[in-house]
Amino acid sequence: MKIIPQIDTYPRLVTACETPWGKVALLAAFAATLLLNRVGIWLELTLVAGVLSFLPEHRQILLSLAALYWVFMHKDWTRWDFIHRMAAGAQAPDWVMNLWVVTLLAGIFCGVWLFFLHVQKRGGSFLARRPVQVLLSGYVALLLAAGTLPLHGAAKALLWVILALLAPYLWFFAYALQDAGSKTADATAVQFGSFHPFYMAPFASFTPIGKGRAYLRKTEARTSKQLSVVQLKAIKLLLWVTVLHIFYTLFILVVLGENTRSSKMLRLLFDHAGLPVPNFSVPTLELAIEQTAAGAHLPVHLAWASLIAHFIEALLAISITGNLVVACCRMAGFHILRNTYRPLQSQTIADFWNRYYYYFKELLVEFFFFPTYVRYFKKYRRLRLAVATFAAATLGNALYHFCKDFFYVADMGFWRALAGFRVYLFYATVLGAAIVVSQLRGHKVQANKPLYRRVIASSGVIAFFCLLEVFDYEGRTHLLRSHFEFFRSLFPWL
Amino acid sequence: MKDRLALRAVLEKLLLQKGDRNTFSDGESLLTSGRLDSVDTLELVVLLEQDYGIDFSNGFDRDDLDSVDSILNLIQAQPAAPKVSMHAMEQRAT
Repeated sequence: MKIIPQIDTYPRLVTACETPWGKVALLAAFAATLLLNRVGIWLELTLVAGVLSFLPEHRQILLSLAALYWVFMHKDWTRWDFIHRMAAGAQAPDWVMNLWVVTLLAGIFCGVWLFFLHVQKRGGSFLARRPVQVLLSGYVALLLAAGTLPLHGAAKALLWVILALLAPYLWFFAYALQDAGSKTADATAVQFGSFHPFYMAPFASFTPIGKGRAYLRKTEARTSKQLSVVQLKAIKLLLWVTVLHIFYTLFILVVLGENTRSSKMLRLLFDHAGLPVPNFSVPTLELAIEQTAAGAHLPVHLAWASLIAHFIEALLAISITGNLVVACCRMAGFHILRNTYRPLQSQTIADFWNRYYYYFKELLVEFFFFPTYVRYFKKYRRLRLAVATFAAATLGNALYHFCKDFFYVADMGFWRALAGFRVYLFYATVLGAAIVVSQLRGHKVQANKPLYRRVIASSGVIAFFCLLEVFDYEGRTHLLRSHFEFFRSLFPWL
Repeated sequence: MKDRLALRAVLEKLLLQKGDRNTFSDGESLLTSGRLDSVDTLELVVLLEQDYGIDFSNGFDRDDLDSVDSILNLIQAQPAAPKVSMHAMEQRAT
């Protein structure tokens, strides 16, 4: 039984949504579901989706204009607090800082444009053959220089502002440069529309959900009927996100006892209906780990509750935010795959990773897995698979997070920030090793397996990822020992 | 024609392993649509390397493996590939 009706398969509805009034109705449904999901920028998103619905033939240029608008009118795509702090260090007034930012951003885009053109000419240079490696190495070299060189004043501020502006665009540029080498690459003006596109506004992530232009080109609606179907799929997905959001709010309120705006509303509804709201006040995982590290061991049932609650919350949060972006992208006319798709049905570790955060996994596959797989150990099939998987799930994963959290390097220096990264490095290593084993054992999901065997396999996978959450810590202050102590406290009988 | 049939058999087997019994046309996208995933791509890469001598180390475009037609275009674009493949491919598909 489906909770959400398959509205995209109703022929009369599809035809109706091709008409102007049908489009208006779709946009109204889009705005309403965004509001239900408490998306603050629902009006801007609906306006852009509206223009794209009525002028699909100008989709590419409209997307570029929307991306330009978002860069300057919204400030959640990078760490502006960090940029302000750096500018304060250089004692620059606000208007000078703003001028700097615009100039540097223009410089970065011009640099990438020239790089893109160079790759498009398909020269034999290393730069043209390995553009993504050059881009990533360049960024890491800048980070290393900023974190180790004894810089002061304007020079220090300049370098850190460049890093703060480049970091959010790094993987968007990587997709564009990879596309530059393909036979059907779009022009740079069109590529610009996929750099922090408007549909990513509800979730300011550094991971390009919807990847780059190469993927968008292939998933773009070409006819009025296709657009109608994909927009109905967007509404269907938003309805599912709304169901998840309600469950998430209830979960936060009852299990964690947290008072968000949504949970307050829910509490009012419960109070109005005269229903008591239970509150289990389960501590957050971070708090539980910190308490364990401080010697105040939690009762074992509370430690488990904290871990399981964290796992469920993370699962719901990524399902809601990622699929919200996917739905907005579908409203723009791109039939992209869901970000999170039935992860609890996974029967292998590799399958869970594929279903949990699809676009992050795809990023690692594109830029780490395949380049390693097609180049190294070609005569040794199993070793080749293991090395490529490790390159993606461990090295690529760690590199992504280290580059994303550049501000730790500014605060602690490069080497201390790297040393403080040990908990996440451990997490990425175990994850990589587990996926390698899962892949080598054979990845095939056997749909014909009896139900009880599928349930056992899924339970094992869920238990593994739940336990691994203990080490999924991106901060720099915890010791690895603290996480191990918490892990051990889950099994006091051992 | 033989290449096409053998290739379709390989792809059908990969889809069947995922419980996907739906039909597909030669031009239909299998990777972009999500019917095949990145791990399935590996099976295709190994097959094309071993059976057709295709070298992906200088560049790898997943578009080339997206459909039966695109894979056949890739095979045909290879200069003097060692075509040892038909039986091997068919055996793989069984």
